[in-house]
Amino acid sequence: MPIEDYKKYFEALELSPDSQLSEVRNSYLHLKSLYSNDSIVTSAIAYELSEEKRHDIVEQVEEAYTKLIDFFENKGSDPAGSKKPSFVVGEELKQYMSGMTSFSGELLREIREKLGVNLKDVAVFTKIRKQYFEDIEREKFSSLPAEVYLKGYIMEYARYLSLDPEKVANDYIGRYRSAMKDKGKQD
Amino acid sequence: MNNGAQDKRCEIWAIGGGKGGTGKSFVTSSIGTHLASKGNKVVLIDADLGGANLHTLLGVSKPRNSLTDFFEKKASLKDIIVNCGIPDIGLVSGTLSSLDSENIKYAQKLKLFRQIKAIDTDYILIDLGAGSHNNTIDTFLLADKMIVVTLPEITALENMYHFIKNVFFRKLKIILSAHGLKDVIQDVWKNRDAHGIKHLKDVVEHLMGTSVHIRDIIENELATFRIHIVLNQVRSGREIMVGASVKSVCLKFLGFDAQYAGHIEYDETVLRCINKRLPFMLTHPFSHVAKEISKLTENLRDGRQITVTADKYANRRL
Repeated sequence: MPIEDYKKYFEALELSPDSQLSEVRNSYLHLKSLYSNDSIVTSAIAYELSEEKRHDIVEQVEEAYTKLIDFFENKGSDPAGSKKPSFVVGEELKQYMSGMTSFSGELLREIREKLGVNLKDVAVFTKIRKQYFEDIEREKFSSLPAEVYLKGYIMEYARYLSLDPEKVANDYIGRYRSAMKDKGKQD
Repeated sequence: MNNGAQDKRCEIWAIGGGKGGTGKSFVTSSIGTHLASKGNKVVLIDADLGGANLHTLLGVSKPRNSLTDFFEKKASLKDIIVNCGIPDIGLVSGTLSSLDSENIKYAQKLKLFRQIKAIDTDYILIDLGAGSHNNTIDTFLLADKMIVVTLPEITALENMYHFIKNVFFRKLKIILSAHGLKDVIQDVWKNRDAHGIKHLKDVVEHLMGTSVHIRDIIENELATFRIHIVLNQVRSGREIMVGASVKSVCLKFLGFDAQYAGHIEYDETVLRCINKRLPFMLTHPFSHVAKEISKLTENLRDGRQITVTADKYANRRL
């Protein structure tokens, strides 16, 4: 990545260029949530914040995050020295995975086990608490974090398993939403 | 600005924020107390001329001298600094007998600013009043560190945005005037529809596009313009994030740098102490609030800021 781009992406996430992967993720989650939703911080200055500009910001933040994650993965320059995924996805499994459209927690677990990966490895690599992945696999929706964070975690998880992050997250979040809605009705 | 002839010995911090009741005077007196406890000489100036009460927070019921003596009796500023019972802290009280702040003449204002800069001390803290009057803003701009105190409440945030926008605008105006470009901003703003300008950032971008000369001036200014945020009366982890969010809005939508210096949790003991005219930092030195104030003071002094991480608060639902 050209050095200017690299700087630009860190700037979009309001970080200095020596930031670590975990800071990149934290900043991304915070900014995404801040500009996707309404809160007192944005409502108080709504006259300066057009919807269009907010949308642009969210896109910039998304792009910066995706690019920086790639950067960290390729360079492995995270000072914490995360252990990279060491498995190889076989052709047969790849084919099988690319044909999937629905990704339940159960299925994610199955794929992970097929790849011979344990949750601890995923947690160490992504720097996301193992508990979250356990809850994601069990679809324990009530103990999962707010949607915007959850989506980030699922995308990380999917990326680790060499799945399409968007596809997995959209499917999973869809089920998460309807489950939470049902829960809301019962309460 | 670099003025080699003057020996810059003391640092001026101004505490503002637009809205009344956000705890500016409490924060000012507490920061001052912490700096003094670390061996610094501190002078606190109550510039809230319409509603001065910094003396009360320091346990002084009726200050012997005040800015009235400066404005009406031509006393010099250094002679009206009163002792407030806390070692190494001097107070310039803002209690005025008749004058109100909006009647202060331009020449008096300049004289006051000159004498503030000449005070022989380590730190000068200026406690500002509410509102975005030009006198308030000019006093704020006098400081080496511009600090805003706000609350995680929409009204406080609204007034704070309004205040810092005005501060930034005024600073640009002053800087451009100093370069003989007095009316540039007004002209742009008057013709904003023709230029397709809606927001503050558009004005700045438009100005930067008008000439290389103006762009250099503004870029220079943007490189040093910085607002320090103190978030007061925080009640939850989620509210702590408000400071980080405000910082982001300043960067992305107002176009200037802001730093999140720290937050102070809500604690009703603070109000109890104020009502008894007890200096909180001295009576409750081991409280969580006192620790947070010490930390944010040191962040301000060293130019550091806090990073609050969303994942720490992500699973907290309110």
